[in-house]
Amino acid sequence: MKYIIIGNGIAGVHAAESIRHIDTSGTIQMISDETTSPYSRPMISHVLAGFTDSQKIHIRPPNFYAQLNIEPLFGKRITQIDIPKKQIHLDANTLDYDRLLIASGADPRPINAEGQDLQNIFFMRTVAQVLQIKKALLKTKRALVLGGGLVGFKAAYGLMHRGIPVTMIIGSQYPLSMQVDPTAGHLILESLRKKGLDVRVGLSVTSFEGKQTVQGAFLSDGTHLSCDLVIIGKGVLPSKAFISDNDIQTQSGILVDQHMTTNNPDIFAAGDVAQCYDIVRQSPWINAIWPEAVLQGRIAGANMTGKSLTHKGSLGRNVIRMFDLDILTAGLVNPPDNSSYIVISDHNARNRYYRKFVFNNNRLIGVVMVNHIEQGGLFLSLIVNQIPIQFPLKNFLTRTFHFGKMLKK
Amino acid sequence: MKTLIVNPQKCLGCMQCMFACATAHSQSKMPFQASLEKPLPRSRIHIGAGQMNEGFPNRCRHCDPAPCLLACLTGAIYRDHDTGSVLIDPEKCINCASCAMACPFGAIRFFTYHSAFGNKTIAMKCDNCMDRRAQDKIPACAQACKTGALTFETLESASKRKTNAIARTISPQGQELSDCQLSDEMNLYNAYKQQLSALC
Repeated sequence: MKYIIIGNGIAGVHAAESIRHIDTSGTIQMISDETTSPYSRPMISHVLAGFTDSQKIHIRPPNFYAQLNIEPLFGKRITQIDIPKKQIHLDANTLDYDRLLIASGADPRPINAEGQDLQNIFFMRTVAQVLQIKKALLKTKRALVLGGGLVGFKAAYGLMHRGIPVTMIIGSQYPLSMQVDPTAGHLILESLRKKGLDVRVGLSVTSFEGKQTVQGAFLSDGTHLSCDLVIIGKGVLPSKAFISDNDIQTQSGILVDQHMTTNNPDIFAAGDVAQCYDIVRQSPWINAIWPEAVLQGRIAGANMTGKSLTHKGSLGRNVIRMFDLDILTAGLVNPPDNSSYIVISDHNARNRYYRKFVFNNNRLIGVVMVNHIEQGGLFLSLIVNQIPIQFPLKNFLTRTFHFGKMLKK
Repeated sequence: MKTLIVNPQKCLGCMQCMFACATAHSQSKMPFQASLEKPLPRSRIHIGAGQMNEGFPNRCRHCDPAPCLLACLTGAIYRDHDTGSVLIDPEKCINCASCAMACPFGAIRFFTYHSAFGNKTIAMKCDNCMDRRAQDKIPACAQACKTGALTFETLESASKRKTNAIARTISPQGQELSDCQLSDEMNLYNAYKQQLSALC
């Protein structure tokens, strides 16, 4: 059996390990456009902050490929998939496959602003980009971060930790607007500002100006900000340019069923490129997060060998510990104004403690926690397994909520 | 292989296991001295109060597959081949709490301990008392537990005890048994069966 995995990220790695666990003789080829061996992408923000270096963030040992008898093909991007012939085209080569996994991940979403080709304007998706940023940082006096999402948040944190004044420009009214609700969002905004981060809300950048390197930016409200380094974190788009819509069904990402199979039974997708059923949204959605990529890769790999594992569904979730704040979110935290949703929350401003739970049909579907997040996994487990709640909902709000409180006496 | 077995219904909530666990993971390994150490040794087993205020011992189950291990961004969480225990490497842990977000039992906490790399706060959970086991001692929590809520035995042995307990529930009342006179042959046969099961 010939297995080809497009992508060298954590989804591809777990898929390869799943395949080898079951099929010791099939050939596995892993193709990647990056040239480093698998590394932990979330840790690039630690490289930026200076907590670690690029050599220390690998997620598998150097002999990973040799040990599992995988042929790696680095520094290559797919140009085309020939489905009837079951071949992929790579630069000048053509490779045959029996089973194909598309785990090509996602690329930073471009923004609509003039002057983007000035130097020292960066995205922050790969370790190579972070290394470039670090080089530029030596001369940086003031940095601009575009986006208040996870990338922007982490970029701002890393830069501030290096003592660089940062201004964060976000389109929404508070950071992490895709993850949190307004209460948590404003709590976070307040904390960031207290820490010295200059956050401007409800704005975007219309153009950059400078000679060869960026020297300033014009904002949507007409103001001008001087800056000599820009990091853009305005989301990611699935890497599927090499896929023709006629062959493989896509929406925002590559559509897959609960077995991680595309509309073609020999082609699978996993990770940031895959759009699968979301448990709480109850519709196809992309949750481009690390633990999803791991789970989807494992399932896809096993199913490529002929198994029939089922993915219950993906769940958006995040935990972030920065700026003296711990934030954990999962599922739907901003339900529509609809009487079928029950929302309970507890906000203790003095103790900087906030919890909010969203229920639908007697099941937990969303949670936001600010601080005291240690047992958040309990709530995630309730959401993923869609456990009907058989105790008073207010029990969720106690600080001492724990596993034992969920058991029937 | 022996493992830590939990019988939650026997837990009284006395929390001696928590004290023993913290002491076992201290520098001095002695109760009074441990309470004076900095950083303060912390327990990795957590007794919570259930809905009726009954005790519930919550600890890491060393799952296989382990959600925390799969969620860990740095590969700090790994499995010990010999015992199957899921362990955390303090040097690699970056305190990101991805493991806590993944643990369906809420068994992970964050604190520092005496040999944590550079005194940093990291993810902490039950380590199956690896150090004590290396000295042929049983896990500290099982050692401390007086009710049998925490025992250190094979799964087979624990299951057998449960099977016996259930079997006894369908036996006649003890009172009736002592009143009824069994024949000498029956007594001999019962004695023989007891000897046999003691050998198994």
